[in-house]
Amino acid sequence: MRANSLPLLSTSCLLVSVLLSGGAVALEVNSSVALKVKIAEGITSKNSGNKKFEFSAKPEINLNFGNGIKFTTIVKITNETNQQISHKNVSRDGYVSINKPVLVGDNSSIELRELYIEKSIGDHYLKLGKQQVVWGKADGLKILDIVNPQSFKEFILEPFIDSRIPIWIIKYEASISDNSDIQILWIPDNTSHALPANDATFAFQSNRLVPDTPEGVQIAIQPLATPCLSIKNSDVSLRWSAFINGWDLTLNYLYHYDDQAVLSTQQLIIENRIALTIQPELKRSHLLGGSFSNTFDDITLRGELGYSTDKYFIGADPRNSDIYVKGQEVSYVLGVDWYGLSDSLLSLQFFQGRIFDISTVVSKPKVDTTLTLLAQTKLWNDTLHLETLLLKNMHHHDSLLRTKIVYDFNDQTKISLYLDRFSGNKNGLFGQFDSNDRIMFSYEYFL
Amino acid sequence: MKLHTLSIKVPLLMAIGFSIAGTAYSNTLTGDEIVLKVNQRDEGKTLSRNLTMQMIDRAGKKRVRETRSLRKYFGDEKRTVIYYKSPKNIKDTAFLTLDYADKTVDDDQWLYLPAMRKVRRISASDRGDYFLGTDFTYEEIKLESRVSITDYERKVIGEDMVDGFHCIIVEAKVVTPEIANELGHSRREDCFDDNIWIMRKSVLWDEKGQLLKTIHFRDIEKIQNIWSVQSMVVDNHKTKHQSTFSFSNIDYLQPVKDEMFSKNTLKRGL
Repeated sequence: MRANSLPLLSTSCLLVSVLLSGGAVALEVNSSVALKVKIAEGITSKNSGNKKFEFSAKPEINLNFGNGIKFTTIVKITNETNQQISHKNVSRDGYVSINKPVLVGDNSSIELRELYIEKSIGDHYLKLGKQQVVWGKADGLKILDIVNPQSFKEFILEPFIDSRIPIWIIKYEASISDNSDIQILWIPDNTSHALPANDATFAFQSNRLVPDTPEGVQIAIQPLATPCLSIKNSDVSLRWSAFINGWDLTLNYLYHYDDQAVLSTQQLIIENRIALTIQPELKRSHLLGGSFSNTFDDITLRGELGYSTDKYFIGADPRNSDIYVKGQEVSYVLGVDWYGLSDSLLSLQFFQGRIFDISTVVSKPKVDTTLTLLAQTKLWNDTLHLETLLLKNMHHHDSLLRTKIVYDFNDQTKISLYLDRFSGNKNGLFGQFDSNDRIMFSYEYFL
Repeated sequence: MKLHTLSIKVPLLMAIGFSIAGTAYSNTLTGDEIVLKVNQRDEGKTLSRNLTMQMIDRAGKKRVRETRSLRKYFGDEKRTVIYYKSPKNIKDTAFLTLDYADKTVDDDQWLYLPAMRKVRRISASDRGDYFLGTDFTYEEIKLESRVSITDYERKVIGEDMVDGFHCIIVEAKVVTPEIANELGHSRREDCFDDNIWIMRKSVLWDEKGQLLKTIHFRDIEKIQNIWSVQSMVVDNHKTKHQSTFSFSNIDYLQPVKDEMFSKNTLKRGL
C-alpha cells in the first residue's frame, strides 16, 4: 500500500465503520450536479484567435446519517478544447499521486475534488478527508488563505473555490468559551501549486515569478521533489477565533511547506559548456498572522496580516548562482466595504507586502503595494448582479480589470458574461498577461 | 310585539351593546399603546421552523427557497439564523443576525456564501434594504408582525375587517426624513387585530408618498399557546413583484443549541 493512500483509506474506514455501526440510522441523501459551459475568446491583436470551450460537470453527494455524521463527495469532470488553458498544460508535479486529476484522452479530466466525513459532538467538531480550508478576510488576493495550494491554470481568473486544490486534512474545531474557538489542522498532504507549463496561455512571464536564465546555457529541470508522507513532513496549524465587543478576531499559525517551489541550481561543465541542473523543491516556513473585522454604520472594516519567516524570492541578477534568495516577508491588507447604496457594495482594499532580512536585490519590490476596488450591485430582486473589480499594482503600475454580469434566469440556470483586461509593465503580476485580454460567456445549470 | 320575539331581540341588543363597548374600549387606546400591546405579545424564548420563500415576478416567473430558521433569546439579545436548504444553486447559504436589546447598538450580521467558503461580516444599518432578493426588508424580517415604537408618530384612524377579523387601523408616519430614507418608506397604515393584538395587514407608502407595498399576515393560529403567523405575503406595487413567506413545523418547545448561532455552524450547515 502506498503511503500517500493513507488519508483516503482512513476516510473510507471511518465511513464503513459508520455504516456498520449497527442500529437503524436515518439516512438523508442529497445530490446535485452543476453543469457549466464556458466559452472564452481573446480580444487583443495577439490572442484574438485564441478560443476556449470548456464543459464541466460537478456532481455532489451529501449523506446525513442522522447521528450527527455527514459525508460529502464532490467530483469534477472537465472537457477542454484549448490545450493552452487546460489540465493537460499545467504542471502535475506538485500533486501527490492520489490527488492528480485523471487525464482522459487529450481533452478531458476527472478530479476528485472533495471527499470528507464530519461530525460534531457537543463543542467539538471533526472533519476528515479531502477538503478546502479557507482563512482570511481579503478579496481577490491572498495573505492568510494559503492552507490549500492553488492551480494557476487561468492565473487568478477562476473563482477561488475552483482554483483552490483540495487536500487531505484532519480538521478539529472546539469552542473554548461562549465567544471563542480554536481550530487545529493536521495536513499530511504536501500537494503544492499547479503551475502552467511554458507554452500555456497563462504561463508566468514576470521576472518576479520566473527567473531569467543566462543565455547560451543548457538547462535541465528536474521534477519537483515532493516531501514524502510522514509525520515530520506534515503541515500543522492552529487558529484561535473570537467575537469580542463587536470585533471578529483571529490569530493564525501555520507551519508548512510553502506551496511555491524554490529552484536550486547545480552548475556542471559538459563538453566545455556550462549546464545548469535546476531542482525545484519545497521549503519550510512559519506563518504567523491574524485578521479582524467590524462594522460601523454602513461600513465594514476588515484586515489581515501574515508574517512568513522563510520566504524565497528570485534574485535580480541572473548571473548569481543562487536563483532564489531567502528572506522574510510581512503582508497585510486593510479593506473597507461601504454598503451605503441600496443593494450595492463598494469595497476598497490596500494590500502591501514588505520583504526584509534579505542579503541581495530581488525581482519582487521590497515594498509591494496593490490597491483593489470592487463595485457591485444587485437588481431585479437579486436576479441580476453587476460587478467590476480593479486590481492595480503601484510599483509596476499594471492592472487587471474584471467586469462581470450574472443573471439568474431561474433557480436552475445562471448566465454570466465576463470581460478581463490586463495592462501594464510585462514584469508586473498583471502586466505579464497584457496580451491575454478576453471575453467569456458561461452558462450554468443546476440539477 | 309578541313575547318570544322580544325575548330574542333583547339578548341580541345586549350582545350588540357589548360588542360596541368592546370596540369602543380598543378605540380608547392610542396608536403607541396598541403597538406596545402588539410588541408585548409572547413570542417564545426559542423558535425553530421551516420557512419557504416564494418570489413571483411581474412575468409570473417563480423562485422558491426552502430554509430552516432558528431563533433564540440569550438574555435580552435575540439571535436568528436562517439556513438555506434549496435550491441547489444557493444551498448552504446561511445568515446570522444578533439583535441587541440596546436599540442604539446596530445589529451584527454575517452571511455565509458557499461559493466563497467564507463568512462575510455585513453592515446591518441598512434595515430598509431588501432581504436577499425578497420584498421584505431586513427590518421586517427582524420584527415580523411587530413594529418599531420609536421610528413613527402614530394615531388611530379607524377600524376595518381583514380576512374576517376586526382590526384597528393605526396610521404611522416616520418621524424624520433620515429614518424614512433608511426604512424606505414614509408612512404606513397598520391593521391590528384587537382581539389577539397581532398585525393582520400593513400598507406602506414610499418617501414620495406613492403606494409601495402591502403586507398580509395570514394563517394566524395558536401553536403551543403562542399566536403564530404562518404566512406573510407582500405585494410590491411598484415592481409588481410578490414574496410569500410560509412557516411550517413551528416549534417553541424544541431545545435549540447555542452553537447553532455561531459562525462555525454557519459554515458547517445543519
